Amino acid sequence: MNSLLSAGLILLLGFVGARLLKLVRLPSVTAFLLVGILIGPQILNLVTVEIFTASEFFSNLVLGLIAFSLGENFRLDKLRQGVRQVMWISLSAALAAWLLVSAALIVYFISIKMPIYPAIVLGAAASATAPAATVLIIREYRAGGLLTELLLKVVAIDDAWCLIFAAMAIAVGNAMRADVFQMSIIFAGLGEIFGALVLGGVLGYLSSRLSKFVRTREELLVYTLGLLFLNVGLSIALGVSVLLSAMMMGLVLVNIARENYKFFEVMRSVDTPLYLTFFIISGAHLDFAILYKMGIAGILYIAFRTLGKVYGAKLGARVSGAPKSVEDWLGLGLAPQAGVALGIGLVAKVTFPDFGDYIFTIIAATSVIFELVGPLLTKYSLIRAGEISPSE
Amino acid sequence: MIPVRIMDASEFLSNFVLGIIAFALGANFRLEGLKAAGKPVIWISLLEGAFAWIIVTLVMIIYHSLNNLPIHPAFVLGAAAAATAPAATVMVIREYRANGPVTEMLLKVVAIDDAWCLIFSALAITTANALRLGVFNSVVLLEAMLEICAAVILGAALGFTLKFLSRFIMTAEEVLVVIIGFVLLAVGLSTTLRLSPLLTNIAFGLVVANFVKNSELFFEKLRSIDMVFFLGFFVLVGANLEIQLLPRVGIIGVLYIIFRVLGKFIGVKLGSYISKASSDISKYLAWGLVPQAGVALGVALSAKALYPKYGEVIFTTITATTVIYELVGPIFAKYGLKKAGEI
Repeated sequence: MNSLLSAGLILLLGFVGARLLKLVRLPSVTAFLLVGILIGPQILNLVTVEIFTASEFFSNLVLGLIAFSLGENFRLDKLRQGVRQVMWISLSAALAAWLLVSAALIVYFISIKMPIYPAIVLGAAASATAPAATVLIIREYRAGGLLTELLLKVVAIDDAWCLIFAAMAIAVGNAMRADVFQMSIIFAGLGEIFGALVLGGVLGYLSSRLSKFVRTREELLVYTLGLLFLNVGLSIALGVSVLLSAMMMGLVLVNIARENYKFFEVMRSVDTPLYLTFFIISGAHLDFAILYKMGIAGILYIAFRTLGKVYGAKLGARVSGAPKSVEDWLGLGLAPQAGVALGIGLVAKVTFPDFGDYIFTIIAATSVIFELVGPLLTKYSLIRAGEISPSE
Repeated sequence: MIPVRIMDASEFLSNFVLGIIAFALGANFRLEGLKAAGKPVIWISLLEGAFAWIIVTLVMIIYHSLNNLPIHPAFVLGAAAAATAPAATVMVIREYRANGPVTEMLLKVVAIDDAWCLIFSALAITTANALRLGVFNSVVLLEAMLEICAAVILGAALGFTLKFLSRFIMTAEEVLVVIIGFVLLAVGLSTTLRLSPLLTNIAFGLVVANFVKNSELFFEKLRSIDMVFFLGFFVLVGANLEIQLLPRVGIIGVLYIIFRVLGKFIGVKLGSYISKASSDISKYLAWGLVPQAGVALGVALSAKALYPKYGEVIFTTITATTVIYELVGPIFAKYGLKKAGEI
């Protein structure tokens, strides 16, 4: 088995799997994940080591691409009336997930006489959402409407909240463990956000100015891909958020000049193989053995994160005067959890020698569940809100 | 500035690029197209390719044996010489709005001579391989024939599988997914089975072009993205180029450049004579056949994959001469067309 063969199988099995599962009305994202599980190391073992090694490079690119495409939704001239709703809903859903998960886990940890700081970090991870699955569901079923528009904006910016919460949680966790509260951790978190926004903004501006040298469609594709690589690579090198900087680059591009929609369009015409591969590799990475290790804490995390998202979004929607369908169904659309939460888990692993591994295990295990169930919930909520035709 | 990991990925990339080139070539074998092309096109393209191949091979054999080098690279170098790159020639024609019988014939010839090149190179690589092993008897020849057949069968099987799957393709995005998947599969399977990825992909492309409905869609979709891979590939080729090989390539390169062009001129003359083409074609067509690019590189790449040691020399020679041909090719093409009175 060589890597080309493996990559070819990934693409073709993804296509076939998506077609088959369409018969039972399951979304392509789910099909890709299942194909990934099937060809992953636990069952057929058709994914070569080289592809696994390349998958970090690859997933960074795909996440950057997703965030970049989300930036397109922030047309400032159209945004005015929606901005209040986006802010309220995203903040409230993230905050509620954090508070509820932390509260539930604090009670549980006290009852089993464990330190409580892991509960605070886990809660912060619970505030994260994963935009990729949401975007793909919306695209596959051509969902459209108020809920869809709000959902796309909320998943784009709630990573900012999550990063702030995570920085605070880690600082607090450190304080409770070692009795030193390091303001620097919070500043680092804020720096990660502002650095990303500045980087994305600058790159977006420069790329719009330089785009006059791009003549053909092929060149546009090369140019846009190059920009994304640059953006993702610089974000990693500078230690700022990949998602936020790519989103900002898209946001700046779409607002600078009308004709910049072409950047997004050219990427849309070629990105399917990338997303497909990304989700199949994610599926192959899913580690089911870890599910046994999550225990009661994992179950609490899943239950209260879901509750937090649903009721937090409801509250935010009500306060900001969003329509009823948004109030009822947006929260469920925020269920997917993946990369961002795992990133927080990795930081915890490094920061806390005693319970860091435990925190990571819980996040990884619950991500398996949310990654598999999340897309289905997103689809369900869009159907219930009447923004996907029920015949799908 | 290029990390090692990206260099590692270059093998994957170059194999994939080779697959794309060969697959796209299969489209040239569209049967109706070949029939419609007529006798002169077939004869001229066949002979200009064959003469470039034979003359370069002979010269290289002489050079290599004079210098006590193993002679098998000569076969591959010769085969690569058969190809021409349509892009540069087409650009000249468009830029100067050339028009006339020579221009028309030229376009048809460059469209199909790559196909001959690939057949020659499949034969050449097999021969070279047999020679390298030091045995050249009926068994080796039979094995070689079997290998060629197996590659063609594999490619054809993939083509018919695609035909079957294409019924279920609904969107343009799926077209892209499927065609990239299949090209990767074709290259991956053929290398795993130790068959020629070049031949496999041509056979695959040929079946797709002739038997799949709306096959243009697949070729078009692939064309819309291939620049990304070609660009990445050429940058890596530049980064990989072993500069210390250049002096050794020097004489080989000069011989290659001169005798390839000579072969093309003789081939065109002979082909025009046999097929009774006009004297303008016989005199001026060959000037448009100088540029060389993708296909020759494809041949070089598969040679490099087959035998790393001498493959490197072949590869460097072909990349270096490609650069030179690309520089002078358009000038030659323009000269020829001007002489023919079509600019």
